[in-house]
Amino acid sequence: MNTMTFHGPAASLWWRIARHASAGLLLLGAVATTAYAADAGKLPRLNGKPDFSGIWQTTSDADYGLEPHGNREDAPASVGIVEGGVIPYLPQALEQRKKNFETRDSNDPRLKGFTLGTPRGIYYRAPFQILQRAKDLTLVFQYGNSVRTIFTNGTAHPKGEAQEFWLGDSRARWEGDTLVVDVVDFVEDTWLDRAGNYHSDALHVVERWKYLDANTIEYKATLDDSKVFSRPWTLSVLLHRHREKNFQLIEDYRFTTTYDALYPPRKP
Amino acid sequence: MNTKESMKNSNKTGRKRGAVLSVAVLTALITMQAQAQTNAAAPAPRAAASAPAGGGIANEKSFPQIAQGAWKGKRLSDGQPDVQGFWSNTIANHNNFTDPQGGVINDPNVRARPKGPREERAPSRVSDPADGQIPFQPWALEKVKESQEFFNNPIKPQYIEPLARCAPAGVPKSFYWHGYEIRQYPNYVLFLFDSGWRIVHLDGKPNLPEAIKLWNADSRGRWEGNTLVVNVTNNNSKASFGRSGEFASENVKIEERYIFAPDNKRYNYVATFTDPSVYTKPWTATVPARRWSLEDKSPSSWHYKGKPANYEGKVPAGGPDTDHYERICVENNNGFGVAAKPAK
Repeated sequence: MNTMTFHGPAASLWWRIARHASAGLLLLGAVATTAYAADAGKLPRLNGKPDFSGIWQTTSDADYGLEPHGNREDAPASVGIVEGGVIPYLPQALEQRKKNFETRDSNDPRLKGFTLGTPRGIYYRAPFQILQRAKDLTLVFQYGNSVRTIFTNGTAHPKGEAQEFWLGDSRARWEGDTLVVDVVDFVEDTWLDRAGNYHSDALHVVERWKYLDANTIEYKATLDDSKVFSRPWTLSVLLHRHREKNFQLIEDYRFTTTYDALYPPRKP
Repeated sequence: MNTKESMKNSNKTGRKRGAVLSVAVLTALITMQAQAQTNAAAPAPRAAASAPAGGGIANEKSFPQIAQGAWKGKRLSDGQPDVQGFWSNTIANHNNFTDPQGGVINDPNVRARPKGPREERAPSRVSDPADGQIPFQPWALEKVKESQEFFNNPIKPQYIEPLARCAPAGVPKSFYWHGYEIRQYPNYVLFLFDSGWRIVHLDGKPNLPEAIKLWNADSRGRWEGNTLVVNVTNNNSKASFGRSGEFASENVKIEERYIFAPDNKRYNYVATFTDPSVYTKPWTATVPARRWSLEDKSPSSWHYKGKPANYEGKVPAGGPDTDHYERICVENNNGFGVAAKPAK
């Protein structure tokens, strides 16, 4: 585990990340106790940093429900991926979550082919591709075909008024071989899973991306949202590299399916 | 531009960030503001509303040919010519495929300016055959005329151009509807459009099975000197070529040539369409494009929405990197019609 010593622009960026210092400290504790050990010598690298280029997907059932749950008609049982097992909702927000759960068959934004958001797009069980340059990582999601850029060029979130993005604004720094991403500026329109877990536009996500081995990424995300949660909480999944021969993303524009049959014109 | 196609990244701002900023950060911002005044990296003014078709985006009436040949410009570490950055077409939009500056066909709205004679407008995007028309089979030409007749009065849903629903613009329409970005990686060229992405695979893997048809098709490419040659298959051809209704079928094969100029500031998109089920012979489209960057003063946001990234420390000597906010069409996530709100 690296210590938190930074210099220059990265240090000031970290200041902004550290405005949610409690979240960062929780993460540090969690990562330090990880039982896995990546063989750093074999990791793909780009400019000395881990190169996450590749097509990734979780085998977790996280998207059915982040918290532990028994099986139900529309989901397998799962121990979930929330550290501590419970998302710490504020009382009113918990009521909203219950309403969301009851109406999930019609109100889950996923069903409309909407952009899944951050972090849901990462643990949704569909492939996404990372294309990496020294200055950024581009995440191309098969489901909904959205594209997220994670900047690693020492830049900070946009100045001024907050933006509202489906995937948030992602600024990252390397902490040793771990990519630490600070994500803010969200819309309130995405859900976190199929069980109605949700957030507001005050969502702030700190992600940690770390190779366990050359084909496995440990992904952690700490979510803070003063309108919805009583404290920051953390989820964690593993992402596996697609190694099938000639594997590629295949676009999945669910939102076009209602009118797909109308086009193109057919020969009478 | 039709407001129905306004992009998510240009609206819905206004929520103050101040509430989540610590005092330390505010201090840093104030310091940075002072720095910004002393260097050239001050943030660009907020992008103006898009210019109407025929106005600010119509641009040039002719364009230079670019010869295929050797590439002497900069290269990426894997040897590809480095053509990364922001690009946009230089002649109008998707209103009219064969008369790009001629506006929507059968447009009931009165034009602000008279069109004038055809020869005073930019040429057809159909560069071969010489008459500038797509060699449609009779039944297909009838379909195009039908589409044009009902475009402004879509009495059936198939007369609505799919792009109005934020469907992907597809091939080739993506190249004359809004600016776009090219990013390159070993084995890949990535196009980021306002209406979806295309990944061009350079590694020689086979095309997808024929049963799979996609809005943005499946692309296999290779570099020949200054030219990126891309074979496009698996096209669902639902996107149409524009509001003028030209189209292909799911059987279309497209060979694209992106021919980059020596100064890396322009390229011509030259694509040959072969589809025996719709056309009487292959035909070729040519779409000129130019590069956009932070050095361009007050570009139309239709073409370019880049802005200087926010540095809390010093801006790099080579100038700031370019930020571009996420490209998500409003209607992708709002159902049909901008006024429609997602169900809660």
